[in-house]
Amino acid sequence: MDVPKTVATALDDRSVAGKRCLEAGAGVGNATAGLLANGADRVYAVTNDRDHARTTRRRVGEVDDSTAGDRLAVLEADLRAVPLPDDSVDVITAHGLCNVLEPAALSAVAKELSRVAAPGAGLVVDDYDPIPDDAAVGDLFAVENAASELARGRPALTFYPAAFLRRFFAGHGWAFERERTLLEPVPWTESHVAAHADRAVAVAADCPGESGEALAAAARRLAAEIESESVGRMYGLAFRLPV
Amino acid sequence: METRPLGDTGHDSTVTTFGAIALNWLEQEGADQLVEHVLDYGVNHFDVAPTYGDAELKLGPKLRQHREEIFLGCKTQERTYEGAWRKLERSLNRLGVEKIDLYQVHGLEYDEELDAITGDDGALAAFREAKEQGLIDHVGLTSHGDPGLILDALDRIDDLESVMFPLNPVVAGKDDDEYDYEAVLARAEAENIGTLGIKAFAGGSWPSTDELPEADRPFANWYRPVTAPDEIRERFDFAAAQGLTSVISAGDPKLVTMILEAAADYDGMDEAAQRSLVERVRHDDSPVPEQLHH
Repeated sequence: MDVPKTVATALDDRSVAGKRCLEAGAGVGNATAGLLANGADRVYAVTNDRDHARTTRRRVGEVDDSTAGDRLAVLEADLRAVPLPDDSVDVITAHGLCNVLEPAALSAVAKELSRVAAPGAGLVVDDYDPIPDDAAVGDLFAVENAASELARGRPALTFYPAAFLRRFFAGHGWAFERERTLLEPVPWTESHVAAHADRAVAVAADCPGESGEALAAAARRLAAEIESESVGRMYGLAFRLPV
Repeated sequence: METRPLGDTGHDSTVTTFGAIALNWLEQEGADQLVEHVLDYGVNHFDVAPTYGDAELKLGPKLRQHREEIFLGCKTQERTYEGAWRKLERSLNRLGVEKIDLYQVHGLEYDEELDAITGDDGALAAFREAKEQGLIDHVGLTSHGDPGLILDALDRIDDLESVMFPLNPVVAGKDDDEYDYEAVLARAEAENIGTLGIKAFAGGSWPSTDELPEADRPFANWYRPVTAPDEIRERFDFAAAQGLTSVISAGDPKLVTMILEAAADYDGMDEAAQRSLVERVRHDDSPVPEQLHH
């Protein structure tokens, strides 16, 4: 299991070896792979998505290091209610997490992450700046958001500027340490574009009336037109909880 | 075109090296033209091998005409003393020159080969004699094999002055030791050994010959190359930005001009853009389903 360069770069100045770590929103386990590779004593990979939990377990199983499986606990849980005690982790990663949290969820998650973090803990927040206005993928994300708003009453994606999250986590008590650029431009590949289109189509099925069909058709059309696009910036922020 | 010191050889190589295998696919007149074209860009390092069809013969005329402008690399797959001497003399004959500037052990792949070339009756003994006789100036090694084996070779061959190995965003995105050519680059840099990058323009393997017969491949390369000007440019920039002394041009003559243009315009690539390229390639080739993020 290869550690993506984005994750490796986000972690390379962070102290992880021997630490208790939490990957908030495990996705396919990219940050978990990086934390394990960097010698984490224990990694809690928290996700509310059963497929993601399964993928993370499976991918870690592919690692040569036989201790990796023992050091990993995949927790299927809502990040607004993490099943861990107060002050119980030393490093938290939110790699590509915040953009799938609308402001209310982001607030609740930040509060919960701050609760489980031990004094002196580190926090890594990697995410995307808002997509430039003239980017074609922005149109696809708009359709995905429209479908999500109609079906669920909240957007699928919210791209927070780095400066916003920096101040936001500071408001939750985290001292800002540094910002770096992880990707510029961000390569939205055919597989990303297709995955977002699929997601939009799936959510559109829950939309009321005819709007769902129209949005699904728009998502498919845009994905076919865009194919892939490299645009925007992915940033990496690091914070520390004062002792 | 930018030049960089080729290790301790005293030669400053242009940031691209002409892979003269491209001449094999051309008639003599076209080969002559391509060499002139490459020299017009200021390229001063050429690389050839006896296994590249007629490339040595076709390089010969223009090489002799411009001998002073060209730092010539050649190589041999022979592992024995006798074999290496025979191939060196053959290459000198076919090229029609009195000296090869950089003579390289070609395509090291197995531990046994490393034992063989470093043995008393091994190829390197012939290289050293040839060097004493002024037939070659410098000793190098090439491999697209296990990076660990290349590191062993660097340990065991004291007079190695250059090493040629694959480097591109596909291998840079893989963590396994079998792809860790970055370790080779780091070691070579630390020991002031020149570094020459191959497969910078590899897009992937060719489909199986059942799917695409060899005769139907649109390019002469051993791998499926990237072919669009923008892709060639970013692949070149990536390879050059890793710190290689020089990036070898792709083996198909149709790609050479794009590579020369990229090399002539090279002015670095920032790290976020390098990672962007690694990520893009990684996702294009990823077995993991449904990745919304990077």
